[in-house]
Amino acid sequence: MRRLLGLILLLQTLHLGVAEAAKRPLLQLVVTAPFLEMHSGPGRGYPVVYVIGRDEVVTVLFSRTDWYKVRAPHGAEGWARREDLAITKLADGEPAPIPPYPDFASHRWEVGAGYGVYNRQNLVTAYADFGLTDSIDIEAVLQQALGTLDNRVVATIGLRHTFIPEWKWFSPTAGLGTGYQHIVDKVPPAPLESNNEMAYVSLGARGFITRRFMWRADWRHYVVFNNLNVYEDLEEWKVGFAVFF
Amino acid sequence: MESRLCSILLAAALLSGCGWFHRGDKKPVQVSVEDPGAEPTIVEPQVTRREVKTPRIKAKDFEVGAYFGALSIEDFGTNPVYGVRAAYHVTEDFFLEGFLARSKAGQSSLEEVFPAITVLSNSGRQFTYYDLDVGYNILPGEVFLGRGRAFNTALYVTAGMGDVKFAQQDQFALNFGVGTRILITDWLALHLDVRDHVFESSLFGVDKNVHNIEGTLGLTTFF
Repeated sequence: MRRLLGLILLLQTLHLGVAEAAKRPLLQLVVTAPFLEMHSGPGRGYPVVYVIGRDEVVTVLFSRTDWYKVRAPHGAEGWARREDLAITKLADGEPAPIPPYPDFASHRWEVGAGYGVYNRQNLVTAYADFGLTDSIDIEAVLQQALGTLDNRVVATIGLRHTFIPEWKWFSPTAGLGTGYQHIVDKVPPAPLESNNEMAYVSLGARGFITRRFMWRADWRHYVVFNNLNVYEDLEEWKVGFAVFF
Repeated sequence: MESRLCSILLAAALLSGCGWFHRGDKKPVQVSVEDPGAEPTIVEPQVTRREVKTPRIKAKDFEVGAYFGALSIEDFGTNPVYGVRAAYHVTEDFFLEGFLARSKAGQSSLEEVFPAITVLSNSGRQFTYYDLDVGYNILPGEVFLGRGRAFNTALYVTAGMGDVKFAQQDQFALNFGVGTRILITDWLALHLDVRDHVFESSLFGVDKNVHNIEGTLGLTTFF
């Protein structure tokens, strides 16, 4: 119980900190449509609980996904849809500054995670990606391969080329890069080398799902650098979801 | 007469003093008489345009918090579990979520029946996991507390994978869950979750899929 109380206090402090930092002027918009509907929650099924009339001023408090928490002139609060708020105007008649969704073809940041198979081991993968141009990205990947004989932690960094970034639903990619793997053995004998540098080439694809959501698929061929005079190579494939900004 | 003279002198001294104070680099004012035949000049206003900054709308799509509850570790009894979670809400339906938690296994039934047998060392009883999940808000709605209070809720399902470290070994684990989120305020949410962590174990000599079901209660904040 004491832990729960501590947690509530911690969250409250965190929130107050954020609230203090956020003490800034709020955006005020003028309704230009015949009316603006305010729902009781941020979802399509929540009922309309209040309506703001044309030429009235609505204050925008914050957003959550495609919904905006708004305050009516008389203090009533509710959630307005993004599409409805986008057709309001500023007091000087300029269009409402509702930020547009990032363009999928020219987005800059991606953060994602997925499942795959690395060297016949189950793979959990997470990555971050920055677009240097629309078609060339630099990506950093951190992944854990979990097998019966050993577990591996793999970290890589590389460049990825998207051949036709304008193709929305399916666009092929290719890449190359370098990385590092650390092996933790589960069953004896222990590996002769537990840390290796690696290089890889990859082929893959990406596609848009909705809003900021996308999918990724990748096949990689790794060459492992070791001192054993044995040529070692590994294969990996993976699929995952990502959010782009 | 004398006093009038004094006051005149005093005034003159004061005026000259004022003039001294005001002396500077000021050029003498030149009074120009406009040439009636010249073209009238246009006066350029020396006013800089005021920049109007439109306030930005703060997006509150991230959710972080902590939870605790009970985890039933197969063959090792039900034990307390506590962890942290973070989520990003992509749309009103989908969210991505990560969990990190730990628990400690109790005695197996074998150890209870035969106290001389030790299946796991003390450190091997540590059960830690991380999960990366995709969640879907399947039933959004409201709950009512008395006549005047309503809270937004969502029943959601999650599925994902991650790593379970148990018996000092990391295992690949899948997890499936169902939970409900009750928004106490716009920024504070209460979570009730049931989640199953499935992984392959050969601790008792036979390979089998073990199901580790947990029930948890958590608090999160949106920012």
